Order: sequence, then C-alpha cells, then structure tokens
Amino acid sequence: MRISRNPRRAVAAGAVLAVLLPLSACGDGDDGGGSTDASGKVEGEITFQTWNLKANFKSYFEGVVDGFEKKYPGTKVRWIDQPGEGYADKISADAAAGTLPDVVNVSPDLVAPLAKAGLALDLDKSASKYEKEYLPGAWKSHQIPGMDGTYAFPWYLNTGPLFYNKRLFKDAGLDENKPPTTYDALFDDALELADKSDGKVATLANVPTIEDFGRYGVPLMNKEGTGFTFNDAKGVELLTKYKKLYDAKALDGQALTATPESTGKKFLTEAVAMNPGSALDLEKFKKDAPRLYKNIGITPQISSTGKDNMYVMGVMVNTKTKQTPAAVAFAHYVTDAQRQMEFAKKVAIFPSTEGSLDDPYFTKQDGKDETRVRVAAAKSIKTAVNYTPVLFSEQMKVELRNSVAKALQGKQSPKEALDNAVKNCDRLLQQS
Amino acid sequence: MKSTTASQAAPTDISTTGTARKEPRPAGRGPRRGIRRQLPTSPWLFAAPGLAIVGIFILYPFLSTLNNAFTDKRTLIEGDYVGFANFQELWHDEMFWIGLRNSTLYVLGVVPALVVLPLLLAMLVQKHIPGITFFRSAFYTPVVASIVVVGLIWVWMLDERGLVNALLEAVGVGKAGFLSDQWLLLLSAMTVTVWKGLGYYMIIYLAALANVPRELHEAAAVDGAGAVRRFFSVTVPAVRSTMVLVAALSSVAAFKVFSEVYLMAGPTGGPAGEDTTLVMLVQRVGTGLTGRVGYASAISVVVFVVTVALMLLVLRADRKEDA
Repeated sequence: MRISRNPRRAVAAGAVLAVLLPLSACGDGDDGGGSTDASGKVEGEITFQTWNLKANFKSYFEGVVDGFEKKYPGTKVRWIDQPGEGYADKISADAAAGTLPDVVNVSPDLVAPLAKAGLALDLDKSASKYEKEYLPGAWKSHQIPGMDGTYAFPWYLNTGPLFYNKRLFKDAGLDENKPPTTYDALFDDALELADKSDGKVATLANVPTIEDFGRYGVPLMNKEGTGFTFNDAKGVELLTKYKKLYDAKALDGQALTATPESTGKKFLTEAVAMNPGSALDLEKFKKDAPRLYKNIGITPQISSTGKDNMYVMGVMVNTKTKQTPAAVAFAHYVTDAQRQMEFAKKVAIFPSTEGSLDDPYFTKQDGKDETRVRVAAAKSIKTAVNYTPVLFSEQMKVELRNSVAKALQGKQSPKEALDNAVKNCDRLLQQS
Repeated sequence: MKSTTASQAAPTDISTTGTARKEPRPAGRGPRRGIRRQLPTSPWLFAAPGLAIVGIFILYPFLSTLNNAFTDKRTLIEGDYVGFANFQELWHDEMFWIGLRNSTLYVLGVVPALVVLPLLLAMLVQKHIPGITFFRSAFYTPVVASIVVVGLIWVWMLDERGLVNALLEAVGVGKAGFLSDQWLLLLSAMTVTVWKGLGYYMIIYLAALANVPRELHEAAAVDGAGAVRRFFSVTVPAVRSTMVLVAALSSVAAFKVFSEVYLMAGPTGGPAGEDTTLVMLVQRVGTGLTGRVGYASAISVVVFVVTVALMLLVLRADRKEDA
C-alpha cells in the first residue's frame, strides 16, 4: 500500500476520512434483515420497546421478561421504554436508521407506514396459529387497507364513558340524573347550559375529531381504503351542529387550539361540563379535584352507530430482527391471555384476548364507581370499534382539525371545509 | 540559474518531497527548520476534530437538506429526484404563505423591541447603586429559564381563566382571547420572545455601554445637553454597531421562531393553523412516520435563504450608515 509522503495531503485525507467514515454509518441501516420464518428454536437476544410504561409498571414488565427468559432458556430480552411525547418520531428515527427494536409497542396508525416500508412482520404468514386466541375485531385492527396481512399482535384495548359535572347541570336547571344519551340531547343540553350560564360554562372543550365523525355515523373511508369520505351529508350535519355550539359558547372558546391535556384540565377545573375519559380518570378526580369528584356523573359514550370508540395497542415484530422465532414468541407471550389479564388488573385497560372479558373482574359489580365504569366499559368493548382509520396520519389529523376550525370560525361553510379536508387528506394518502 | 531555482523551490521541497532532509543542516538553523517542517501539518491536526464535528453535524446535514429539497423523500422511503417540484408546490401551498407571513411579522414585531428595550434596560442597570446586581440577575433570569417552563407559565397567565384575564375582568375591560384569537396569539408569543430575550441583549448592551467614554457624556452635559439629547447624540452613536449586531441576531432568531408559538398556539399552530411559522411547518410536514422529508427540506432551504438575506440586509444598512 502506497502511503502519501506529503504530510498536508495525508492530514487532509485523514480529515476527510474522519468526516466521511462516520457518515458511512448513516445509511439506511439495512443489514440484510432476518427471516420471516418463526418456526425455529426460540433463542438469542432481542430488544423490546414499550410506550411510556416504565414509570408505573416497571416491576410488571421485569416479571414478564423474567418469565419469558425462564420459559425459553437461551433467550435474553432487553427491555427499553420510550417517553409518550414524540414516540412516533422516535420510531421513525429508529426505522430510518435501521435501529428499530425487535419487538415494538405500536398503535395501528404507527403500524401502517412501518408495514408499507416492509418493517412490520406479517403475522398471518408467520404466526397465524395464534389468531384464534384474540378477539376477531382486535386481530383485524392491525390490518391495513390495500395490503394483505396482519402486522401486529393486538394488545390492550381502552375505552371509557363520558364524565359530566352534575353540579353544572343542576345549576343550569337540567336534570343532573338524566345526562344526554343521544347527539340531539347532547346538543340541546349544551345550548341550554351555555344560555343559562350566560356563556360561562361550555359543555364540550374539543372540536370534533375523526373518531367523533365515526361515532356520529359518518363513513370515513371508502372500502378500498383509497380515499376519505367524511365530507358526506352526515359529516356536514355534525360540523354544522358544532358550529352552532361554538357560536353559542357551548363549545369552549379555546377548543380550536385545545389538546387532550388542556381539555382534561378544563373539566378538572369545572370550566366545562362534559369530557370523555376512562376508569383511570376517576382516581385522578378523587386526588386532584375532590369537589369535582363529589359531583361526578358517569354516562356511556354517545354514539349513533351503537358502537363505542376504542383505542387499540399492539405489539409488532420488526422484519429485520435476527431472532424471528424469539421475537414472535415474545410478542405473543406479552400479549397472551394470562399476561393481558395480569396487566389489566394493574391498570384500567381491557384485554384483547378471547374470553378474557368474561372474567368476573369485568362482569361483577361491587358498588364502587371504578368497578361500575370498568364493568360498563368491558361490556361495551365487545362491540366497540377503533374509529380512527389506520391510514389516518398525524398530518391528516392536522388537516381535518384546521378545516374544522375554519368552519367553526365561519371562514368556510362546513361543506367547503370538509371538502377541503378530504381533498388534502387524499393527497397525503397518495403521497404516503 | 539552476541554484536560484533550487533555492526558490526549497520551502516546497522541505515540506513535500523530503529531499532537503538529505542536505547538510546549516549551522544554527536547526530548530527553525524543524518548526517550518511542522507548520503545514500541525494546524490541520489541531483543526481536524473541529472539522470533523463541523463536517458531521453542520456541513453534512446542510448538504443533505439541500439535496433532499429536490427529492420526494419521505421518512421511510428514499424517494426520487423531482427537480423543482417541491418549490413549485410551495408556491401553491396556502400554509407556506401563512408561515412566511407569520415569520415575517415576527421579525417586524420582535426586532425593533429587542433592539431598543434591552438598551434602555441596560442603561437602567448600568448604574453602580446598591442592590443593582439583584436587578441585573432578575432581568437575566428569563434567559436561562427553560423555554418550555416559560411557555407554560405564560399559557397559564394568558388562559381564558388566567391571571391576565382575571385582572382585565376586574378592571372592567373584559376577557381577551390571548390563546384563541389568531392575532392576539401571535402578539402573545412575540411578547414572550421579547420578555425572554431582553436579558440576553441587555448583557450585550452593558458591555457596549461600558466602552462609551464617560468624558463624552460629561462634555455633552457641560454643553447643556439633557438626558434625552445625550442618549441620542452620545449613547446611540457609540453603541450603533452593537445595535446592528442585536438587530442581525434577533431578526434571524425571530424568523426561525418555533418554541414560543408551538407552546402557546398548540401543535396545530393556532386556530386553523393561522399562527403557524415556517419552522413549525417544517416540523409538521417533515417529521413522523409519514413525514415528507423532501418537501420539509424545500421549506428549510427557503428559511435559510431568507435568513441569509436578512443578515445581508442588516449589514448592508449598517455599511450605508457608515458611508
């Protein structure tokens, strides 16, 4: 090998190498990937990533990891947890860099782009034998329109009732024991509450989201999954009603810029009369807002379809894993009936495994509010639907939200606003 | 002739070919020759770590962004070259123009305040009186406070049920939609930026004021100039170059504003996205699993061009003043 005897050149070459060599590691990280065959021996080291669960459930997950390693000697699971904030960004950075963990906690909308990029293992091919263990709806929740296959094990489900403030209802002359159960009743009560409180108390604090359109009975996407349809007559009807609420101050004045956190705070401080929540929130009300807790009313979600909205969590296997059998076995182990039941008893979530919801824990009342919420939610979850289309990305949510805001402010008619939202979401869908 | 050529070429020979090493060392010139031999290499060696860092963390991302701006790259998909298609799309993108408008308004609203107010503040705390250190520290505190904490505190204060609205209601003015009205929201964010930046620029002005000769003030005072006249005739000319520096720094920072608006207007950028700034738009369209990296890069290129133009504009104005 000829080495330059010119020191300037040598140093310059060294500097260039120093710059370029690390960059050469910044490629797509595609190192070949692993096999999609999960039938081999379960062994080797895998990484498992959860979504903001370490703070409250460290011992539970350590137990799960220990249990798996004991069941399959020769395996080693490295558990990592990421904060809730910016989770999608973290996954996208890992996916782009080729450092995505072997087993990843995801939601359906996160799975869709990963599956399209060939990073989520198709369980219908690699682990179809486990399908019968899960509720059919939950298994389907990680299927992607336009693609064949199922791309994550269903994990825990969540749903919840509507909470309302009995005192605010009573002060407005409404019957605090008869909360609205239909959309018409909700809009009527909201207008009356705003009128009686001179616009000081709003009933709702959030603009309608894609789930609200779904729950109202608006068709969200065409059957092929190639275009959005929430600008139909029913969608326009819902937005027109919300516009009426906004004008009457029955929808909080800051709803156009609200986040779920700020909405929750509004309800906690009794600035709004109703808010969706889960059994988890009852504990929070008891601790942070005792006055609200004394007046808390609980009523089922309002839905025109007869089906509540539910949120779905999943566990996917990275196609690039070098330990496919171990990764698939672990993803199944975390989400099997026994582990899901154990997890459900630690936190107010619902298992997605067949038969688990028949456990007395989800069917027997004991007089406590928490139990009442849990039993009612468990009953509704059997028929509940995840109304958020898996192809509805964050950018699309912003498009819808901005269009809704324009309609509520009167800058565009509800029809015009929804047409624009659909047009923009379709464009994003084609670009994805 | 031959010997002349050889002597002219000597320095190069010493450092490149090594031929000179074979020549007998002239008496008494050894150490100097040694230094001359090391000179060309050692600066590069010293600079190498810095160059590597600049290359990896500044040059490469910059060139990569420039390259991506001409592609339809997405987060998980490499994409193809699309020429100027992203820039053509920008031209027709309503949100881009909203972002450009808001970023420009931010510069126009924030920069004059950040050029003038910190100077006045610096003059106030320049005096050596008992307890002045406390005030200097107090005015500097927002600079070191986390922007997230600052943002949250202001959001609480400006909320519909916050302190400011409670005060306005108490004096009979009525509530204002600081966090829900498009223009008030932008104004609120500008206020936070100015409030947080005051202390930083105050320190820069304090250093500049310390260099203004006291004799000038004394001479002006003897000539009968009052405080206001002395300010415009002595202080301002003396710190003019610092004012230009502050204008340049604050205009670039204001054009690239993100945190204040994001924290106060929410991730959607205010009602219907009307308070979105260009950098917020970059973040919104370019991140996440379905992020349009190519398109976001094109917006970044526009931000880069405008900030360079802003700098040149301010420096050119300064040069004109000098002329």
